[in-house]
Amino acid sequence: MNQNFQVISSSPDQLYQMIIDLLPCYISIQNNDLEILYTNKSFLNDFGEATGRKCHDVLKCSAFMCGECPVKKSFEDNAIHFGEDSVLTREGAPIQLLVYAVPIPAGRDRSVIEFSIDISKIKNTQKELALLGRSVALISHGIKNLLEGLHGGEYVVDEGLREENWPLVEKGWKVVKNNIIDISMIAQNILYSSKKKALTIEKVKPGEMVKRVVSMLNEKALSMGVSLRAEVNPYLPEARLDQFTIKKMLINLISNALEACERDREKNNHFVVARALAYNELQYKFEVEDNGIGMDEDMRKKIFQEFFSTRGTSGTGLGLSVVETIVKEHQGKIEVESVPGQKSLFRIIFTY
Amino acid sequence: MDRKKIVIIDDNKDYTFTMGVFLEKNGFEVHTANNGEKGMEMIEKEKPDLVLLDVMMETLFSGFEVGRKIRQHPEMKEIPIIGISGMHNEIKVKFEKETDEDYFQPDEFFEKPADKDAVLNKINQLIG
Repeated sequence: MNQNFQVISSSPDQLYQMIIDLLPCYISIQNNDLEILYTNKSFLNDFGEATGRKCHDVLKCSAFMCGECPVKKSFEDNAIHFGEDSVLTREGAPIQLLVYAVPIPAGRDRSVIEFSIDISKIKNTQKELALLGRSVALISHGIKNLLEGLHGGEYVVDEGLREENWPLVEKGWKVVKNNIIDISMIAQNILYSSKKKALTIEKVKPGEMVKRVVSMLNEKALSMGVSLRAEVNPYLPEARLDQFTIKKMLINLISNALEACERDREKNNHFVVARALAYNELQYKFEVEDNGIGMDEDMRKKIFQEFFSTRGTSGTGLGLSVVETIVKEHQGKIEVESVPGQKSLFRIIFTY
Repeated sequence: MDRKKIVIIDDNKDYTFTMGVFLEKNGFEVHTANNGEKGMEMIEKEKPDLVLLDVMMETLFSGFEVGRKIRQHPEMKEIPIIGISGMHNEIKVKFEKETDEDYFQPDEFFEKPADKDAVLNKINQLIG
């Protein structure tokens, strides 16, 4: 044995034991009944005392053998097998393992060594990459639709100018303007999602912000056949907010509400109301209410997920996730009320 | 001479409006609808010479439903359909799956943003 190793261990057995215990992987030896005969220290630390228990009982809290068991396969053909599986640590946390089963050729009482590596981080990265791929596709489709709108609007404006048909110019220009608003919203949401910026907190009147955004989106609402109005308490005290991000939050919420109205075919008259009102003595609220298509419980759970969109090819799935981030940054709270087919209400509560 | 009739069905109102203006300027009578149900009603009422159909509106394949209904309709099954959509790859897969309930084959397909003149050429080829 090398001199250096002799310093840290007195015998080869101790050295091997130490190496096995230090390895950043879980090692167990199992018999043909999948009963655990030995575990290394990492295994013991993360899954508890397992000797004498069945592998599936320890790793999955299950009385039954796993469907694809590499250890069982190794017993069957005496070859090395591997697979991936989700297991639970002793604290009940799910982790993803890459499992290798290696048969030990040792007389009648054969056994198999199981080496497992925690690949949860790799799996999460894979999921994030897949999500990123889907998001790029979703954003591209959204932008393609808007480009189509811009080209179309440009064509109508040109035709109107050529014929000196001013009502046609006006209609075409409205299409161009609406698409510019949407493109700028998508671009800002992408930017906001991709890099975090420090907030610039200033004293602002919440009601003024609501009125400003409502007047900015009024034309778009009209062209969608939706009545958009602001209801504000003019006596609300000034609040400490980042104007830029709160404006973005309101634009996203109101745009979503307008879309929800546009997609509803049951009612003839649609409205969106944006409010800034007192919530209690210490808090105030922004509310955006619509009588559009509404949401069921399942959808309500998913709406704040990044890249979740209910709008088929026209949504980027960023809007409400950006809203949630902005609310968190202002230490606020979001409440969502909705009745499928009837209405939705987003309530954002902030402290002064 | 009577102008040829086209029904445009797309949930993007900007598209139905601007494409409508374009096709009217090119001598067609245009009717528009912004969802599958209204589109179907319009087709039954107007008996168009051609349908320009966004195959993926809101609920993922509602345009496909319209296409299939036209193809199964005893009097309308011969109406040429031009499919359009922003989601080219997904649509390609869908057009290949004859086993799907809402499968139908359009006469032509354009990916958005579609070149208006290319669409017009195709329309003229099909019903000109």
